[in-house]
Order: sequence, then structure tokens, then C-alpha cells
Amino acid sequence: MSETGIREAAAPALRSRRGDSHERGPGFRSLGPCLMLLPALAVFVGLFVAPMAYFFVISFWRVRIRKIIPDLTLDNYVTAFEKYLEVGVFTFSIAFTIALITTLLSFAFAYVVRFRSGRWETALLLTSLFTLFGGYLMKIYAWKTILGVEGMLNTLFIYVGVLDEPLTALLYSPGAVVVTLVHFLFPLALLPVYASLRSIEPIALEAARDLGASPWRVIVDVVLPQARPGLFAAFAFSFLIAAGDYITPRYIGGPDTVMIGNFIQSAFGLRFDWPLGAAMSFSIITACVLLLVLVNLSLRALGRQ
Amino acid sequence: MTRISHALIGLFNAAMVVFMVTPLALVVLFSFGRSKLTNFPMGGFSTVWYESIFGDPEFWGAFWNSLIVAGSACSISTVVGTLAGFALARLPGRIVGMTILCLCLPIMLPALVVGIALLVFYVSVGTPLSLATVIASHLLITQPFVILIVYARMLGFDYRVVESARDLGATPWQAFRTVTLPIIRPTIIGAALIALAISLDEVIITFFTLGGGNTIPTLVFGMLRRTLGPQINAIGTLLLLLTLTSTAVALVLTRYRG
Repeated sequence: MSETGIREAAAPALRSRRGDSHERGPGFRSLGPCLMLLPALAVFVGLFVAPMAYFFVISFWRVRIRKIIPDLTLDNYVTAFEKYLEVGVFTFSIAFTIALITTLLSFAFAYVVRFRSGRWETALLLTSLFTLFGGYLMKIYAWKTILGVEGMLNTLFIYVGVLDEPLTALLYSPGAVVVTLVHFLFPLALLPVYASLRSIEPIALEAARDLGASPWRVIVDVVLPQARPGLFAAFAFSFLIAAGDYITPRYIGGPDTVMIGNFIQSAFGLRFDWPLGAAMSFSIITACVLLLVLVNLSLRALGRQ
Repeated sequence: MTRISHALIGLFNAAMVVFMVTPLALVVLFSFGRSKLTNFPMGGFSTVWYESIFGDPEFWGAFWNSLIVAGSACSISTVVGTLAGFALARLPGRIVGMTILCLCLPIMLPALVVGIALLVFYVSVGTPLSLATVIASHLLITQPFVILIVYARMLGFDYRVVESARDLGATPWQAFRTVTLPIIRPTIIGAALIALAISLDEVIITFFTLGGGNTIPTLVFGMLRRTLGPQINAIGTLLLLLTLTSTAVALVLTRYRG
């Protein structure tokens, strides 16, 4: 244990000397690492680059009588835009809402746990890490039983006397999708946010406060600049998962909450229109990347003010 | 003022804990209930839902499939990912950043898109869908985690101990087996168990690349569509226990500290 401690304490010094080829050991100078990287790259190229490239090519093909025919047409993208723009915008606004709530909530919780909870810090952190488990489907199922007409929340409300009749609008609504996905994404978002707050010493906050900064200025000027990479990672991760989800809207969202993922999925299921599904997939990925770049730029601009 | 803010912080923490834990706690609680509805009153304690899934051959089929898939994906991605993590720690920084970003792309894109692209690819290439295609597909999303963990560990690795072994006449393989491996064993075991937990829980890519039969998550997926059976609670509790145990072991072995 102590030996490991020493080694870790010495790590920065060792790392700074890593450029020294002497330390890398003989026989590993250049060819070795490349060979060792090969299997992982083979998996990546064979099972990701190749399928995605083929999928991209298919997005320019067309369908005739339940068969896909090679072509070079932009029709699928035009159709995707004309027919599914509204769904896409709805998906983006709901995913944006989910990512924003998740990020703010994880920042608030990480901040409170890190700086304001004293001896509860570890217990609170472990509790939230515990909820990483349990599985995605289980969480959907759990929220379904909580929000349903005969569900837990309605029973509780009626028991307490807040309601006379069960609320039917709890489940099968956009709000239910937001709650379920925020619950699922929260522990995932907490990891990068908390990691970025760990590098801030509580003493720095105290110093700022002693110098007369208001609690608000402490957060904006001391905490946020350090937390920015973590916040962006949390937002990007939450947004990408929410925007690409189709299981939660299907089981929790009801007929009013159909997201782009549901249409992509049905293009491969019942409707058998692979080219259109591929075009929709690449449109949504491109749009996601653009939005995340915008979010990152505005976070940077906010930091500079 | 401070008393009020303390109370507010306590309240916020309590609310967050309730929000995070309640859904999972309900799943575990109702897996032992007697009532068919997942609601109070529970109708007393019973293990009838566990008996029901343990007596179901479909569950056992899915269970063994899950073990085969997760076990293979875990072992292969551990070997492949460890090799890559080793290599990346020795390559110059510029290449490393780009390579890691690329290798992590499969876990950043929507699983739906990755799953469908893989399905289309397998069908077009003519590979019949089977457990093998599921295992291959899982490698894509388990290897990034192994690579990241092993790479982070190897950055702080003291290569001089390996060199000493080589100077004393050990072959590269002997040096690896008797010096490097014992030092980083906890990291590798930890990475392997995280890969196992991820593979065990994966549903979307599995759903698209699985030819016939089920794994545990796709079985639950099917049950979710058909019924609101309390059997789901029991399976969920078992899965929770399995992933929790494997990760707890991983954390202890890697001596994770926060």
C-alpha cells in the first residue's frame, strides 16, 4: 500500500521524463506499440468504421419494391428534412431540456457534496454511484410503475388527500420521459462534473469569500471556470443519449412523445426503408455535433465575460 | 442564516437521494411482494416471482446466453484493450489524443445508430446473426473503457523496474509476466469487471445483432412490451446484485479512491 503511495507520489516526476526513450525499455521503441494497438484498431475499423461507412453509402441509395438499389441520390435527406424536421426539432428540444436539467442538477449536487456536506461527502457520492447500476430497462420499468394511473405516485397523492381522482397525465407524457431520462443520466453526468470539482480546493473558495466575494461570484469566478470541461462532458453525454433514445419515449412517452429514434427504428422494422433510416441517422448525428459545438462555444464565451 | 442554509442543503441532499434511490428500491422491494400490481399494499412477503423465473426455461436460456456473451466480450476486450492501453502510454501525445477519441466514438454515438449500422453490415456481408455477432458488437463498446483505464494506469508506470528485469537477463515475456503484470493486475481485473458489467446491461445493440433467443436484457425488453409482470422486478434485482457485486470487486481490486 505504502509502496503504491510512493510510486503514485512520484508519478508526475516520472511522467515528465517519459519523453526519454531510455525509460520506455528496449525493443518497444516504435514498432512494438503499433503492433499492440493493432487488435483494438482492427475491432474499431472492422466493426465501426466499415459498418458506418457502408451505412453512410446506403443513405444515398433508394428502395424499390422492398429492395435497396445502389444510387447516388439526395432524396432520402430531402425526405428526412421535409417529413421529419418537426420530429427532429421536438427531439432536440426535449433532449436539450433533459441535458440542461441533468447538467444543472449534477452541478448543484456535486457542488453541495464537494464543498458543503462535510462528513457526508463519501456517503452521498457512493449512493449516487450505486444508482449507476440497476440497468436502463429496470429504470424505465420502475418509473412506469411509479407514474402509472394505478401507480405509486397517484396512490400516494390520494392517500395524503392531495387528489381525489388519479392523474392520468403523469405517465405517457413528455414530462415522464424527461423525469425518467434525467434519473437515468444523472449518475453518469455526475462523474465528470464531480471529477472536475475535485481539483478545486475548498480553501480557494474560502479565500475568495474572505476577500469579499458573494456566494454567487465565488461560483461564477472560482468554481465554474474549473468545472467547464466536466460540465460540457456531462451535457454532451446526456444530450447524445437523450437525442438517440427510442425505448424511453416508446414505453414512457405515449403517443404524444414520438422522437426521431422511433422513426429511425421503424424505418428498419416495419417500413423497410434502410436508405431513409440511414439518412435520418446521419442527419441527427450531424445536427447533434453542430449543437454541441455551439454549446461549447457559448460556454467558452460565458467563461470569458 | 447559516442554520437556514444548512437546513436547505440537508433538504436538497435528502431530496436528491430519494429521487435517485426510490425507483431502484421499489424494484427490489416489490420483487419480494405477493401482489401482482407493483403498488401498495404489497400483500405480504413472498418469493413467488423468483420461483416463477427460476422455473422458466426461457429465463435460463437468456441467462446462459448473457453469461456467454458477457464472458467472451469481457475476456476479449480485456486482452485487446490492455494491449492498446500499453501501446498508447508509450506513443507520443499528439497521436494518443486522436486515437483515444476515435476509439471512444462507438460509445458516444447513439446505440440505436451503431446497432442498426452493425445489423445492416452483417446482413450485407452475409454473416448470420448469432451470439458471435453480439459478442463482436459488444467489443466495440467495452474496449474503450478497458483502454481508458489501462492507459491511465500506464501513464504513471515506472518502466525502470521492467528495465532492471531485462538487464538481469529476463526475456521481454518473462519481464512482463513476473514484473509488469503483478504490478498492474488490479487495474486489469478492474477494467475487465467494468467491461463485464457494461456487456451484461447492454440492450439496444444486442437487440439488433442477436439472431434468435434472448439475453437477460432483451428478455426484460420483451417482457416490458408484453406485460407489467412482477417477474421483471425479480430479474432486475438479480441483475442489480450481479453488476453491483462485480463492480464492488472491481473497486476493491483497483483500490479506487473517489
